[in-house]
Amino acid sequence: MNVNPSDVILMAHATFGVLGTLAALWVFVEALNASEANAARTRTAAALVAFFMAVTCFVGGYWYVRFYPADRAMILKGPWPFAHNVFMETKEHLFFATLILALYLPFAAGERLASNPAARKMVLCVAALIVLTGLTMEGSGAIINHGAKLALRAAVGGTQ
Amino acid sequence: MTNGTSSQLGSFNAGFAFAAAVTVLFNTVLACVKDAYRPLLSVMNRVGYHNWITQGIVDVILFFGLGLIFSNTSFATRMTASRLMSTLVICVIVASGGLFIWYLLF
Repeated sequence: MNVNPSDVILMAHATFGVLGTLAALWVFVEALNASEANAARTRTAAALVAFFMAVTCFVGGYWYVRFYPADRAMILKGPWPFAHNVFMETKEHLFFATLILALYLPFAAGERLASNPAARKMVLCVAALIVLTGLTMEGSGAIINHGAKLALRAAVGGTQ
Repeated sequence: MTNGTSSQLGSFNAGFAFAAAVTVLFNTVLACVKDAYRPLLSVMNRVGYHNWITQGIVDVILFFGLGLIFSNTSFATRMTASRLMSTLVICVIVASGGLFIWYLLF
């Protein structure tokens, strides 16, 4: 098995991104059923969203700066240059919106959601936005991955 | 974090909600401007080793800075919760669509 640091970091960033997205879904469900009993759990889940997205940012950012330039050059020479030009460019910048929403979520979840419908709606809204943008990140990652795969195939003369 | 009324957001919540909306929009504008104006990209590459790192640091500082400012003023709490929520949603939609269209066309 040949697993290098680049592979580990790449997988780690996607994994933490999924964990952040799932934690946001967890917050959404807790907020749907907001009560005094699950208030602490909701706040914990919101803190986890912020934590996982921050880790995703650090790990993914390190991979993007350290290892991605080689992949980018290859993708741009391959049959799917838009995998970088459109999807990677959008993903790397839209991620900051997800990160900011994730950092904001603990503030929103800090209110008494069971007795404050406005705060509860805000948590539902922010958690849903994190889930949607998180899924967009994952989908974009799959397109970028496929762009790199097609470029590799083209480079070795294989069929597409 | 609650101001005692059941239909309003607390000052921290409202302040940071509005800060998030502003930061998301700022991030989108900065991404487009640095792409179109190379001198800015060069400066950002020098400041934080890579323009993406610089942008992330600026975004986070802006979010917490504006959040603290808005939390300590009545600006954000004067907005209704539903208006703050729709502002945030619109900003995220504009950011998502705007970035995608920008990179698709340019």
